[in-house]
Amino acid sequence: MTVWGALAGGLIGTVVLTGGLRVAQELGLTRMDLPLLLGTIFTDDRGRASLIGTALHFLNGLLFALGYAAIFAAVGHTGWWFGLALGVAQAMFAGGVLVTVLLPAIHPRMGSPWSDAEETPLLEAPGFLLHNYGRVTLLVTLVLHLAFGTIVGAFAAGL
Amino acid sequence: MERVGGYAPLRDYAVLGDGRTCALVASDGSIDWLCLPDVDSGAVFGRLLDAERGGSFRLEPTEPFESEHCYRPESNVLETTFRTASGAVRVTDAMTLADRTFRSPLRELVRRVDGLAGTVPMRWVVDARFDYGRRPARVERRGDRYVLLGRRDALAVKAWDAGTPAVVGTTVEGEFAASEGAVATLTLAAAHQEPLVYVRRSDAEQSLERTDRFWRAWAGRATYDGSWRAAVVRSALALKLLVYAPSGAIVAAPTTSLPEEIGGSRNWDYRFAWIRDAAWTLDALLRLGYDEEANAFFWWLMHASRISLPRLNVLYRVDGGTHLGEDDLDGLDGYRGSRPVRVGNGAAGQLQLDIYGAALDGIWRFACERGGLDRHTGRDVARIADWVCAHWRERDNGIWEARSGRAHYTQSKAMCWLALDRAAKLAERGWIPDRRERWTEQASQVQAFYQREGWSEERGSYVRAPDLQELDASLLVLSLFGCEEASSPRVLGTVDAVMRELGTGPFVYRYRGEDGVEGGEGAFLACSFWLVSALARGGRLDEATELMNELVACANDVGLYSEEIDPQTRDFLGNMPQALTHLALVNAATAIGDAESAA
Repeated sequence: MTVWGALAGGLIGTVVLTGGLRVAQELGLTRMDLPLLLGTIFTDDRGRASLIGTALHFLNGLLFALGYAAIFAAVGHTGWWFGLALGVAQAMFAGGVLVTVLLPAIHPRMGSPWSDAEETPLLEAPGFLLHNYGRVTLLVTLVLHLAFGTIVGAFAAGL
Repeated sequence: MERVGGYAPLRDYAVLGDGRTCALVASDGSIDWLCLPDVDSGAVFGRLLDAERGGSFRLEPTEPFESEHCYRPESNVLETTFRTASGAVRVTDAMTLADRTFRSPLRELVRRVDGLAGTVPMRWVVDARFDYGRRPARVERRGDRYVLLGRRDALAVKAWDAGTPAVVGTTVEGEFAASEGAVATLTLAAAHQEPLVYVRRSDAEQSLERTDRFWRAWAGRATYDGSWRAAVVRSALALKLLVYAPSGAIVAAPTTSLPEEIGGSRNWDYRFAWIRDAAWTLDALLRLGYDEEANAFFWWLMHASRISLPRLNVLYRVDGGTHLGEDDLDGLDGYRGSRPVRVGNGAAGQLQLDIYGAALDGIWRFACERGGLDRHTGRDVARIADWVCAHWRERDNGIWEARSGRAHYTQSKAMCWLALDRAAKLAERGWIPDRRERWTEQASQVQAFYQREGWSEERGSYVRAPDLQELDASLLVLSLFGCEEASSPRVLGTVDAVMRELGTGPFVYRYRGEDGVEGGEGAFLACSFWLVSALARGGRLDEATELMNELVACANDVGLYSEEIDPQTRDFLGNMPQALTHLALVNAATAIGDAESAA
């Protein structure tokens, strides 16, 4: 297992994840747009938000890849199948906690079930299991995170 | 006010709200409608749709009384004054807004009773029926509070100086005497799949006053200072209550199945956001100076439609969902026996081409105000325009959501022209990708089509569709959106024909022909205000002003409108308060203001 391999996997995995999400959007499967969600923490200009968000998303991808590498090292096993298993855990964390609970809590432009008439949020919260962004958003997210985990695992193991 | 079979007249209701859900309060103090936790959730108080089984929160004197209600000035806090032989009391109602200084309940209703004169015996009854009355509450006492439990929801009832609460079956109720100078407070705190928050009396009363201050400050931001300011500001306050704050969507009305004909079957669920209202909404918000709300609505519009782009859905759930299957609630009698009671809306699956014009005109107005669009939005807008080029030749269900089949509705075609015209204008400014050659060519074709096929020489007016040679009040909007010159002979002829054939007093029916649904309906209030706008834009200012005065006088005692009105009795019909009616009122007032300025 190499950290550089995991980082390379993280980079490519994020490309696949971001691209897959974009394709899913174009196919009308989901409204989930992670770069926009992340970028609008800092600006309400959609163009700039997408740029900032994309950069942040790739940074997150690399950080997660480092996390994967740490787990590989701690467990003493590396491989695409183990990456896939971690991808399941990451998808559950992202879909169940990160995007649905933590992001609305810190996002200055995102609504929540507690938003009332005093607030004018620009973004709707993803809702329970990302349901507000389309019925199959959770499935799309799961599949793409499985791909991410598999790629990181495979690269970390030297393919 | 006299109830008929337990039902208050629709004209008798005021609305409370907090940006998530709304309650309807009759002038006899009964809260007859409240969905929790959100405006499109199941009703907890549904007496509006079933006087026996619906449930309500009643608060009234136990002796004969007269009552009247009004909002506090430029506020959505409601005051109801009861007068009896023994004295007078005032009930102040509000759905409070969260106070960040302490943990507020998910939703909270506060009712404060002030003794004004003498001593008035009062009674209150909380009769919660979860899920549209299909699930009676289970009542539990917890300390000095009573909790009403549904499957996922819980309501905490707390009364201070309002008698000793008692449980009677599945209701919690109490009696007390309201003496001059005395204050009693009742709160209803709601939770949904989370722990209940118990509020203290001081917190509840503080929240009520804080909520009032918010509404006054918000109304004070309105930049409109023309004629009928009170009606315009009340409309803005009503519209703000229809905004679902968590997403920015605006529901057409907070109710379902209030009938367009008493005892009839034209009963629809309006607790959704219609794309059709986009242009009116953005125009009204921007004209009144509510830029933040306009921005939030624009973001909602672009975010909600993303899942179906370049095609737009007719309507969306407030959470952005697109699955709105229409079902009947069999267990409910319906308002004064008007069945079925529907949840969901089958119009979601229709093709309505006019919404593209409404959406692109709204985007155009917003872009002009903001000085442009971002690149991603611009690209999406161009795709919508391309979709219109490819589909304007199709028959559609039209603005009135006809269930009798599709047709080449004249208004739909004109709105397609509007969509392409606005796309070309946006491209001309460099705000969206430039495909003007195609858009202007297609715009010319659709314009030639509706001007040729939708015009009747015999009537001297536009008609509903080439094979439906009848008047349609939606044709009034052709001049409001600039599809046709407001002073052109064709528009003036259409305005006269609408007044002649669809008008009755100050009111206007939508159409007289078939639409695939049994029964009749009242006059459509938005169309009446559109007529005001059309007259004003066409230079007939005196007629417009006179009509506007008559229509403004037709609001109920708290300044609200429903969807329709019975021209003879002036009873309200249809869901209320209705966003489209209030939007049309704002548009009419500003149209007259514009015409006066130009004169």
